Amino acid sequence: MTKLLEWVFGVSVIGAAWALVTFDLLNLRLPEAYKEVAWPMPVYLLVVFGCYSLATVGYRVATFNDCEEASKELQDQIKEAKEDLRRKGLKM
Amino acid sequence: MATGADQAVGMGLVGFSILLFTYYTIWVIILPFVDSDHVAHQYFLQREYSVILPGIAALILLLSVGTFIGVVTWKNRKPKKVD
Repeated sequence: MTKLLEWVFGVSVIGAAWALVTFDLLNLRLPEAYKEVAWPMPVYLLVVFGCYSLATVGYRVATFNDCEEASKELQDQIKEAKEDLRRKGLKM
Repeated sequence: MATGADQAVGMGLVGFSILLFTYYTIWVIILPFVDSDHVAHQYFLQREYSVILPGIAALILLLSVGTFIGVVTWKNRKPKKVD
């Protein structure tokens, strides 16, 4: 059973359960409130996933550490490389 | 820790997504269980819009991404070299 098949199977099961509630395929006569909650579910899950992604990206932007030493080391290496290339004749 | 603008933008994104999540969750999940004469209902649009508005937002996002790619590709077109 490949991963793709597993995902397709899982999504189909959840999709079938959603369709059953939304379109009342088994004539279960659920309370109206449950149907009202069920039908926007796919869009709701997408929006929630989007919010989670946005929050994760924002949080990681806010807590990303500045690395002073690495920055200085990189600047030194750039200077060194430029000197080396200038000596070898590359016009900067 | 990241400083200044980075922190502001990051925390702004976090705050915005929390607000959006809360409003949308109340709209989709909580409101159907609240009596239709409760005052909370006047702060939310009709239920249909809870699906239409994200749909329009997704459409705008796709159009923006496509337009950006198109513009960048157009700007980087080079004439064919003749050897």
